[in-house]
Amino acid sequence: MAYVAVKGGQKAIQESIKRIKYERFKNGGILKLKNIESGMRGLIDQVMSEASLYDEELAAIAVKQSEGNPEEVVFLLRAFRSTLPRKHYSRIIESETMEIERRISASFKDIPGGQILGTSYDYTHRLIDFNIAVEEKDSRKIKKWVEKYNKVAVDINYDTKSIRFPKVIDYLREEGIMINYEINNDEPKDVTKESLKFPTKRSERLQILTRGQTGAVAALGYASLRGFGSVHPTVGELRVGLLPIYIDSPIESSKEDDDSYYIGSIRVTEVESIIPTTIKNKDGTREERLEVGYGICYGQNESKAIAMSILDRCLEMKEDSPTHDEEFVLYHIDSVEASGFISHLKLPHYVTFQSKLDSVRKTRKEK
Amino acid sequence: MRRKQRTEILIDCDIEKLEEMAKIIENKHNIEILEEPNSGLIMVKMRESAQKHLFYLGEVFVTECKVMLDGVIGLGIIKGAHKKRANYLAIIDAAYNAKVRETKDLDLMIKEEKLKIDEKKALICKQILKTKVDFETLDEEVKA
Repeated sequence: MAYVAVKGGQKAIQESIKRIKYERFKNGGILKLKNIESGMRGLIDQVMSEASLYDEELAAIAVKQSEGNPEEVVFLLRAFRSTLPRKHYSRIIESETMEIERRISASFKDIPGGQILGTSYDYTHRLIDFNIAVEEKDSRKIKKWVEKYNKVAVDINYDTKSIRFPKVIDYLREEGIMINYEINNDEPKDVTKESLKFPTKRSERLQILTRGQTGAVAALGYASLRGFGSVHPTVGELRVGLLPIYIDSPIESSKEDDDSYYIGSIRVTEVESIIPTTIKNKDGTREERLEVGYGICYGQNESKAIAMSILDRCLEMKEDSPTHDEEFVLYHIDSVEASGFISHLKLPHYVTFQSKLDSVRKTRKEK
Repeated sequence: MRRKQRTEILIDCDIEKLEEMAKIIENKHNIEILEEPNSGLIMVKMRESAQKHLFYLGEVFVTECKVMLDGVIGLGIIKGAHKKRANYLAIIDAAYNAKVRETKDLDLMIKEEKLKIDEKKALICKQILKTKVDFETLDEEVKA
């Protein structure tokens, strides 16, 4: 059997591509980028995180182009990202600098600064609101609602320009019941520059988890809770807020903080999960202490950040369960790799399939 | 005012004000463009709080521009696709790096902008803090 070159698909392909455009245009309603950016916050956040590229406008264009298909959006963003030069690395970001928009703890009722619910679907009835279907008909009413909301807020007597609180787990660290770690300034590895080799470094695991496909990360985190792993955490703190990004001057030699450039802020979700663990002392005695599982991702994507914190802890512990197997977890949660490999099955496999058919026919004849 | 504080204000201020500041410099000095506003990426380096290691969170899309004023380079860099802003930021940065006289006027303008930005930020904080849970109120309601 030999490979045979085939012709004849080009016209069909061109017509197929035209149909994508047709599907977007056929009903006459063309989505405006602004509408995608402001009205599809959840999708924009998800795809920026999975693409590992933060830019709402680029994400909105990709959402429009791919008709809201997340795996296609992520593919487009990753492809675009690969054409751009990496100009700088940010100064090290400590998440204590986050300007908090939402901050809750499932471990403690009373936390310094309080529980701030911010923007969340958690407290809503999951019932379809049919008024939303017609709300654009009364744009004046919407404008008035926003004006009224802003006015009421002004009456509140708080005098602050940013909300920053210390971490909940820091109080437990001070108490000594949480395992404390020294600051580690080892240069992180970058999975976009070097292929993964096992065993991995912590920095590689975190980078892959944070850019993992939301559904895949959540599914594996859930699997761990259900017994395919041994981590069941309590959320010590969940934060959503803005992280300010700074770079050192590429022109001057000064690396002083005050000489850095502020380039803007990015919204992230950060989770610190608390997980009980048994440690063995030097004298052989065992002691119960608390460990932290860490989760973070671009945008507001709380399930993903919580699931990441579970998987982070799973991968730190050597156990005989799928979610503790770094090759199993890290090789299968990337959107582009997983969807790319699955979708390649659609490509012509005429020759290999013919050979399979031949062998099946041959065995049947032999019988 | 050091660069960190200055850029924290300039990045968030209205583009009209940014243009006004850049024009003050442009009208008095010859500005040579070294690098037209162009797109690129910044890799975000972050410290995680579980074991205090460093890792890469992901990349941020930026626009960057470089100009020269009296032999001194100025850099404008901003998150997102903002060519004009990057250009204005570079001119203002060059003016401060070259320590030109007009920066005294800019200082006043930047301070004024800071007040406006602080006011906007305070409003957002107030809105967010309205969602703070008051557990004492909840306890009283349960008793009643």
